[in-house]
Amino acid sequence: MTGFLSHVKVLELGDEKGEFCGKLFAGAGADVIKVEPPGGAGTRGIGPFYHDESNPERSLYFWHFNFGKRGITLDINTAEGRELLSGLLAQTTVVIDSLPLDTMENLGFTWDALQKLNPGLVYVRITPFGRSGPWRDYKANDLVHMALGGEMMHCGYDPNPDLTYDTPPISAQMWHSSHIAGNQAFIAALGALFARGNTEAGDYIDIPVHQAISCCTEHDVECFLFTGRPYLRLTGRHARPEPDAPTQYKTKDGRYHCIIVNPFAGGFEAAVELLQRKGFADDLGSDKYKDPENRKNREFHHHFYGQIGKCVAASNLEDTWHEAQDLGIPWVPVRKPEENLNDPQWQTRQTFGEVEHPELGRSFTYPRSPMLSDECPWSTGPRAPLIGEHNEAVFGGMLNRSADELKRLRERKVI
Amino acid sequence: MRPLEGVRIADLTWLMAGAGGLKLMSALGAEVIRVEWHGRMDWLRFHAQTPIPYHQPDHAELDPQSPNRGGYFNAINAGKYGISLNVKHPEGRELFKRLVAVSDVVVESFTAETMDKLGLGYEVLKSVKSDIIYYQQPGWGKKGPYVKYASYGPIAQGVSGLTEQSGLPDPNPPAGWGFSYMDWSGAYYCAIGMLLALNYKQATGKGQYIDGSQIEPAIYMTGTAILDYVANGRHWQRSGNRSQFRPAAPHGAYRCTGADRWVAIAVTNENEWRALVREMGQPGWAADPKFATMGARIPNQDELDRFIEAWTKDQDAYAVQERLQKAGVPAGVCQRAQDRMELDPQLKHLKWMIPLPHSEVGPWPHRDIAWHFANLQSDQGGPTGRSAPCYGEDNDYVYGELLKLTKAEQDRLRRDGVI
Repeated sequence: MTGFLSHVKVLELGDEKGEFCGKLFAGAGADVIKVEPPGGAGTRGIGPFYHDESNPERSLYFWHFNFGKRGITLDINTAEGRELLSGLLAQTTVVIDSLPLDTMENLGFTWDALQKLNPGLVYVRITPFGRSGPWRDYKANDLVHMALGGEMMHCGYDPNPDLTYDTPPISAQMWHSSHIAGNQAFIAALGALFARGNTEAGDYIDIPVHQAISCCTEHDVECFLFTGRPYLRLTGRHARPEPDAPTQYKTKDGRYHCIIVNPFAGGFEAAVELLQRKGFADDLGSDKYKDPENRKNREFHHHFYGQIGKCVAASNLEDTWHEAQDLGIPWVPVRKPEENLNDPQWQTRQTFGEVEHPELGRSFTYPRSPMLSDECPWSTGPRAPLIGEHNEAVFGGMLNRSADELKRLRERKVI
Repeated sequence: MRPLEGVRIADLTWLMAGAGGLKLMSALGAEVIRVEWHGRMDWLRFHAQTPIPYHQPDHAELDPQSPNRGGYFNAINAGKYGISLNVKHPEGRELFKRLVAVSDVVVESFTAETMDKLGLGYEVLKSVKSDIIYYQQPGWGKKGPYVKYASYGPIAQGVSGLTEQSGLPDPNPPAGWGFSYMDWSGAYYCAIGMLLALNYKQATGKGQYIDGSQIEPAIYMTGTAILDYVANGRHWQRSGNRSQFRPAAPHGAYRCTGADRWVAIAVTNENEWRALVREMGQPGWAADPKFATMGARIPNQDELDRFIEAWTKDQDAYAVQERLQKAGVPAGVCQRAQDRMELDPQLKHLKWMIPLPHSEVGPWPHRDIAWHFANLQSDQGGPTGRSAPCYGEDNDYVYGELLKLTKAEQDRLRRDGVI
């Protein structure tokens, strides 16, 4: 075995709600087969596109979220398609289903029927709000999920002095509702797989995206429980019941640094050491501030962080932060994603890797793995499947359909 | 049956990115034993007191000296066992090795070289138990030149690109996340790493060492932007709440009645647009050709958003949500904690909060895990069926039952400052 899950087969049906979970399975070494309708999945229409050419084989979104999977096309709404799907369901270990509500049930694949077909099946059902309940049929997308789940009300810009807002709550971009639900779905599925290893029994797992997101905020629920107070949105830092000093400061080149002075012993002293070296310590090194009691009031905080702000204002994006980190201060440049590509830390860890796209005659750099294991390296490819790329391998190899039969199925637009 | 029944984990994590991952392992049924020492206690134990009773803050009894009332701590460590153990004491180290000998997984989130310095690194623990799974999650990872660098959630978000991917366009600064998203996501990857290694060990009999980090999972989630740069040379630009890569307009948060009340509306096709226009009462402006198609609306969003907000601003946010959802338009209130706890009927239906008893605080509501098994048992109470452990609460169970120390031995170790 080379991957963590080389012994696991996964069938992925549905849309963006399940694609990240499938990507994690593929990264961990499972054989993930993505089932798309003939013509390709709708998520191939999500941009950006390679050379901005809106083409289902050129969606960079699709490339990223479907990295390492195999792909087949199948019209599951035809009788022949259903039969082929049934054959695949019988042979798979895990199903990730994010199809519209009731789709599989209406095709006859109820959980009872699936258990008869494949008693060890682990079935991961990802729905927007759950399979029952008053909001069951509500429509959502990434923005609406991040609103209802509570994330947006954490995120935005400082209020006016009277605590009213001119700016709206902000949703972080790039499909985090799929990440949040996908991560939790993967965790639950891995738990069920482990149980299956002991008992040979599978299970059905419901993951409502709305609940997954509502559970992913940090302390707002507990803060409300304990104090009855709502959070305020604050620029670039934690939402809390009252405004505090900024942690994000503008650099000389118009970018930002994020700095969190370590609350443990030594954090203040390390920051003063750095500020002295850079000539921004003002009186912070004086005896007055050696007593922690004199560092607890609001005036001190504004003075101290004000000096840090001046130090950042004299630095460019990549300046100063290594020196600060060497002194033990959590201090980073607020980078754009692509600005990590040449960082020596990630180069050493091979966090990014080249992936071949033979049909385009070149390779592209992808973020490769979220963790390092020598025993089970994260999979390095292949790139996302082309439309129906593995039809022969899967329908021929797994279901023993002959080349003639495949040709006929293709003509009838079943695959 | 709980999925991870029979799995034991020695938990040396603190704060959230690691500790939260172990909470999920507890919920899946693993016996998670949190190892702590009062000389350097998790400061969350003293942060945001759990008042008694929790729901009457004005009359609540508080005890700032108690390490057992940290509200966030109690939420993040539900379902775990807890022992006190000084791993810096030579006898404490030996005792820890005895715990490792009966465990499947060791997990820690210290700075990267701490355990090696204590003489408890992977190679040492592997000699104690050959198939041990060792999951380490320092901020930046153990391998690499930044091994000594520090990280918290906002630090991980800042450097990875996630902070830059949130906010209004330049010249506004990035808005970031408003909370430690990468503490929770770090927790997810901590759980994922352990679960992957447990599944692998079940299949092969082999343990392993995993070098995790809080920042790499964040980078892993920025892949589309990385590709846009690599393939097209394009640098990331923020676009507020507007949809950059999937045609949608309107797509934003709109002000409603009440203080700081907003509803998110996302129109992703022409059917939804027509339904929205119907709900707004077919206003004349909506017939303007510049709003007639998605392609026309997208470049005219500044004006479009003003019209939409003129319609929402005198309505209740939930009323807008309800009428638009009934008409088939994706819409949802920007909910706060109180809304999710008191007004959201779906979360209530899903039973997202469950009461768990805490030995000092009593029962109080915890967010349950977001997965629902048909057969397997899984809830946030885990094998202990309770909130977080008090400091050293399970010493008798772990030292007595599990490690078979006599009462006299335990008393001596206590006197000698080992446990």
